[in-house]
Amino acid sequence: MLIENPLSTSPSAYPVLECFHIAGFALAIGMIALVDFRLLGFGFLDQSPAQIERAFRWWTLGGLITAVFSGLLIFSTDPDMYYLNRSFLLKMTLLAIAIIFNYTVHRQSPSGKLSKTSTRLIAGVSLLLWTSVIFGGIFIAVVAPGLG
Amino acid sequence: MLLSILIRLQNLAWFSNFRSSAYVYPVVLALHLTAVSWFGAMIVITDLRLLGWALPDTSPAEVIRRLRTGKRIGFLIAAACGFVLFAAKAEEYYYNAFFRTKMLLFAGVMIHALVFRRSVYANSAIAKDTANPIPRRAKLAAWLSLGLWLGILCAGRAIGYVAGKAGMHYR
Repeated sequence: MLIENPLSTSPSAYPVLECFHIAGFALAIGMIALVDFRLLGFGFLDQSPAQIERAFRWWTLGGLITAVFSGLLIFSTDPDMYYLNRSFLLKMTLLAIAIIFNYTVHRQSPSGKLSKTSTRLIAGVSLLLWTSVIFGGIFIAVVAPGLG
Repeated sequence: MLLSILIRLQNLAWFSNFRSSAYVYPVVLALHLTAVSWFGAMIVITDLRLLGWALPDTSPAEVIRRLRTGKRIGFLIAAACGFVLFAAKAEEYYYNAFFRTKMLLFAGVMIHALVFRRSVYANSAIAKDTANPIPRRAKLAAWLSLGLWLGILCAGRAIGYVAGKAGMHYR
């Protein structure tokens, strides 16, 4: 390799990136979960689910962008390992599905046009998808021992 | 005294088995982070509302009231998972500088609650009418809360980076 990745040479870069990554995904996944809980009938009951979704929309996107970009930088420190890591590949697949689901089906669901059952189903699928992305991330280190 | 209790704790059969399990440990860690996400977002929403940056049509008192139960449940799940993670390696955590930092920051959260509870969080009059301006004291409480919880998040992640005196008294 001709150029050394500066993120790989600094011992503090990786943990700092991880802090951004966790803060970002916590914001995004937590806010999406709050919309899901509202769809299930918990939380901000004075507002409609659509109002809650609109209120959190930009904060969710901000968290998602922070998580994705810090994630790309984390990936860049050891691309070979991640590329071959099954948990990472599963996580990326789930993440792609979760993002597409969030900005298509999930975004339409608070409109109130859907039946109660399908609204609840969408909320459940959303919660399950995003939680599985967190699990996929944690298991990267389990599948690749020694990564820490 | 405290250390000997912690060594006993980590050597309880249940925590010993948990420590050496290849898959249960990461599952609890992932559950911890899931609960942290849910709980964290509720904290951030409360603070953003106090700063006037989110849910402008809902009064801060209403936001706090609606999130109270959810916050308690979220914190309870995160704390329960956190306790199990701690108990399995109690001695290592005892020596860990970042774990100590995290616990100190939790003490900070408790002081924060004592200081601001009556004037901000349990104050139903706070900007009751959404047209009222938010008091400076409430904004200060929000900034301090964001700082404390972000510190707890970073200290929590950093715990794993300290090479512990692992296994000294593991059974």
